[in-house]
Amino acid sequence: MFKLGLRSVLAHRLRFVLCTVAVTLGVAFAGGAMVFTDTLSHALKKNYAVSTADITVTPSSPIETGTDRPPTFQAGLADRIAAIPGVASAASQLLVSDVEILTPDGKPLENYGLTSFGASWPRDARVAPFKLVDGTPPSGRNELALDDSTASRAGYAIGDQVRIVTPTQAVTATLTATTTPVAAGAAAGAPLVSFDGATAQYLLLGQAGWTSVSVAVQPGSDADAVSKAIATTIGDSVKVRTAQQVTADGEHSLDSTFGGFSTVLVVFACLALFVGTFLIVNTFAMVVAQRSRELAMLRAIGASRGQVTGTVVAESVVIGILGSTLGLLIGIGVAVGIRFTYQLLDLRIPTASLQVSPATIIVCYVIGIGVTVAAAAPAARRAGKLPPIAAMRDDVTVPERSLLARISIGGFVLLMAVLLYAVGLNAGGTPGVVLITLGAGTGVIAIVMLSPLLSRYVVRALMYPFGRKAPVTLGRRNAERNPRRTSATASALMISVSLICGLMVIAASAKASINQSIADALGTSSILITSGGTPTFSTQIGDRTAQVPGVQSVHRVRQESGQVGKVSVRVSGVSDGTLDGPVTTTFDAGSAAVLGSGQAVLPRNLATTLGLTVGKTFDLATTTGKHRLTVGGILAPNRQLNAVLLSLPAYQKIGGPVTDNLLYVEVAQGNQVAEVRTGILDQLKKDYPSIEVRDQQAYAATAREPVNGVLAALGFLLALAILIALLGIVNTLALGVVERTREIGLLRAIGMDRPQLNRMLRVESIAITLLGALLGVVIGVVFAASVQSSMVDDGLAVRDIPVLQLVIAVAAAALFAVLAAVWPSRRAARLDVLRAIASE
Amino acid sequence: MGVADAAVRAVGVWKRYGGGQTQVNALADVSADFGKGRFTAIMGPSGSGKSTLLHCLAGLDKPSDGSVFLGDVDLTKVPEKQLTHLRRDRIGFVFQAFNLVPTLTALENITLPLDLAGRKPDQDWLTTVIDTIGLTDRLSHKPSELSGGQQQRVACARALVSRPDVVFADEPTGNLDSRSSADVLDFLHRSVRDFGQTVVMVTHDPSAASYSDRVLFLADGTLQSELIDPTAESVLDTMKKLDSAPAEQH
Ligand SMILES: Nc1ncnc2c1ncn2[C@@H]1O[C@H](COP(=O)(O)OP(=O)(O)O)[C@@H](O)[C@H]1O
Ligand SMILES: [Mg+2]
Repeated sequence: MFKLGLRSVLAHRLRFVLCTVAVTLGVAFAGGAMVFTDTLSHALKKNYAVSTADITVTPSSPIETGTDRPPTFQAGLADRIAAIPGVASAASQLLVSDVEILTPDGKPLENYGLTSFGASWPRDARVAPFKLVDGTPPSGRNELALDDSTASRAGYAIGDQVRIVTPTQAVTATLTATTTPVAAGAAAGAPLVSFDGATAQYLLLGQAGWTSVSVAVQPGSDADAVSKAIATTIGDSVKVRTAQQVTADGEHSLDSTFGGFSTVLVVFACLALFVGTFLIVNTFAMVVAQRSRELAMLRAIGASRGQVTGTVVAESVVIGILGSTLGLLIGIGVAVGIRFTYQLLDLRIPTASLQVSPATIIVCYVIGIGVTVAAAAPAARRAGKLPPIAAMRDDVTVPERSLLARISIGGFVLLMAVLLYAVGLNAGGTPGVVLITLGAGTGVIAIVMLSPLLSRYVVRALMYPFGRKAPVTLGRRNAERNPRRTSATASALMISVSLICGLMVIAASAKASINQSIADALGTSSILITSGGTPTFSTQIGDRTAQVPGVQSVHRVRQESGQVGKVSVRVSGVSDGTLDGPVTTTFDAGSAAVLGSGQAVLPRNLATTLGLTVGKTFDLATTTGKHRLTVGGILAPNRQLNAVLLSLPAYQKIGGPVTDNLLYVEVAQGNQVAEVRTGILDQLKKDYPSIEVRDQQAYAATAREPVNGVLAALGFLLALAILIALLGIVNTLALGVVERTREIGLLRAIGMDRPQLNRMLRVESIAITLLGALLGVVIGVVFAASVQSSMVDDGLAVRDIPVLQLVIAVAAAALFAVLAAVWPSRRAARLDVLRAIASE
Repeated sequence: MGVADAAVRAVGVWKRYGGGQTQVNALADVSADFGKGRFTAIMGPSGSGKSTLLHCLAGLDKPSDGSVFLGDVDLTKVPEKQLTHLRRDRIGFVFQAFNLVPTLTALENITLPLDLAGRKPDQDWLTTVIDTIGLTDRLSHKPSELSGGQQQRVACARALVSRPDVVFADEPTGNLDSRSSADVLDFLHRSVRDFGQTVVMVTHDPSAASYSDRVLFLADGTLQSELIDPTAESVLDTMKKLDSAPAEQH
């Protein structure tokens, strides 16, 4: 049977090419994701997740995730640990991120997304994460060291003056040494600046403190035992981990970092395969219909039902194998490409050999073959049901199950979708969004099931404006002819288009909401200062800004992450008057004055989530511990200050760092915003080249940028899904031409000319495309609009349906439909009329 | 019969297939006139070139040599696009089977050539044609809901609806039982007698040929003889004579 299947695939090459393409694309996504992730995480694990210290002691953090700065402890700890039996040496270490290195010409050094670190010079070579390559260790505030790769990349030699910007200040110091990672440490490949211990604390933290103690155990001592001893002696204010545990944690965190990336790719692999499924279903249905007489003949000469079904299944296996193999190869190619790009950038990314694990290969083949066989199953079953006498009949029709069952089930599913949706709309907030998404998903399934019924009427309505000329009527009727096929083809497009449109509406709403909230919150005479290099910056920037002529006041906003119960929150310290000056706020309860007495102000959305009202107290955990606070006021949701708000002294009291995240500058009356802005830039640009000074509109534009980024990335991937759906249309049209050879011959014989033939196919193509595109637009817009209404308080206050963009999308779909018809039309036009009318 | 009276003329038509050793002369120097308002039958054994001749006459196929005139237009010199339009406007067709477009109703099939040309049907003529095929109550049916005979009559109506110069029919009754055959042949006969239509029909059935005014006999791609005002018996006689004559004589 396999041999028969293989022959059939070879004989109907054309019919199967597009099937294979669909499988290939899906598998390529999945394979590429897996190979790339395996390769990179293998490389990183090999090189990063190794600890030089036998035992690492870090302060235990009261909050679980999302710290912007590591918790620190004071110097005494190392001495206490050193006194524990079995400990050979205990060295305090400081390692923080958010250091910006400038090139000799004063520009920020490009790090291609890698974080730069600042560290204290290792106190003990036995546990040092990096070591000297050249020069002498830095000492004092005027000396620093760089890792050799960064030094040469930036163009610094020993003795040069190096400029860096730390969270506390701009620094110029002499390069006295270059370093290289010992084997290990969290910062092995990343740019690293180091200073002597006291200087590191002063420049990097602005206060005393260490981030870890690296412990070497005495020869002959058991690291596990010593680690337990440390834990019991010091207590649960610290986390004690052996080298193995550090390695395991490192691998775990790398897995979760890259896990996110590969999840996205896997989701798109699923989407691509799902959309491709429709194409495969169609192809097999058509091929079985065309070969029905031949298959019936097999039955007549004694093949069993199972054997006939088997030939069709065998065909699908052949295609599955072919598609998976190609997909896997392309996937590997993509992974190689990504790796090559990293190497081109000359970063010290450790390059392990390409990891094509057996799991990847197995998964690729299983999904590729699985999807193809599953999609071919209905056709295979129908083929088995062909009665042998069909071989003797003239007009063989493959028995199809009635639509009745499908329609009743579809109706039921639709009902469920509507229910989910209604409940979701009422629920609001995150549960609402979840329910609405479930409802939309169910709705899509219902519409896919019902679409054979819908397709006829929708197609007729859509094609009405195209007139009633003969080619138009013929094309439209061809589209109506096989509702299952038309709707399966259109459904693939519908799903992709609905996702794109949903994305477009949500993105437009997000941008409009950002614009509105910024316009509402900020006056036109405000200027905002942020840093493009590091999230926090030195307080000197605010001090120096205040001296610029035309500046009336500078308001500071400091931020870090915290946790209330299990909910992650932002915590903000704001200087006096920020809430009634540069940021316009509306209080639901209380007023800005409560900040002065050390109470907290919460935006309504956060208060609702946390179940807090004015007067209630709550425990806020930050890196420095738990702090009890009282709610003094509740604000209307405000994008600018979507955090637990405190006054600057209160923020400092709970251990908030003395570095700023954002400055609001108010321009004094009678001054031009643009002039003041230039003044501020002149004042700051030399020492802080990454500082960004924007007026309200420019700030809004920056705030919109992430939305554009997401839109572009997801849009690109979704466009691939649309491409597969369009291939499905080409496929359906081409198969239709093959199937209707005789009919096309007849039409040509009685006087249909080529332009008319082309128009006929174009109309069919447009009918299918518009059916899919319009259903997709409707589903996408309704879905997105409902999500928006559930998230009014969560950043989507404004609903913006980009009508023009949607119309352009549908018009583009129609244009693609015309293109999709080109190749099938050409085939149809090339048909030899005599052959066609003589063909069996 | 004068040249002016011919609706279609074949002049020294050759049709060769293949080349070298395996060359086949499907038609070898065939010349014939088909008079206006006449019903001509073409007969001959299977493989004798009847369909090939019909296709050449109808502009569906190009002769290897010679000319075919529709009125005074030389079909062998007309480019493809115009030929398509000539077929649409001036020629009618009835094939042996699969004559109708399955997605169109009977009426839409009948008016299809006019619709393709973007012309309005002449209502009186349409009614006359439909009355003659006797399917007034089946016009909104799809072909799959019509019997073989009904389908062929719809095909005949379609061939006539644009008042073509000539209607070609290639074994139009080949798949039909004798009653349906009689209906179709009767219709073709009446279209010639009552409306002055020109009809050229390929058949291998002597009784079908007896509906015609004149029968041309073809064998091995050449014209053998002709019979005016044939009857089933005289056709059978001629066929017998041709069968017994050895092909080498020609
Ligand atoms: N496309 C073709 N290629 C090669 N030979 C052909 C082709 N079409 C017809 N013939 C040959 O031409 C001859 C006449 O065919 P045809 O006109 O179909 O005969 P009839 O209709 O009288 O049965 C036959 O010998 C046939 O084999
Ligand atoms: Mg023939």
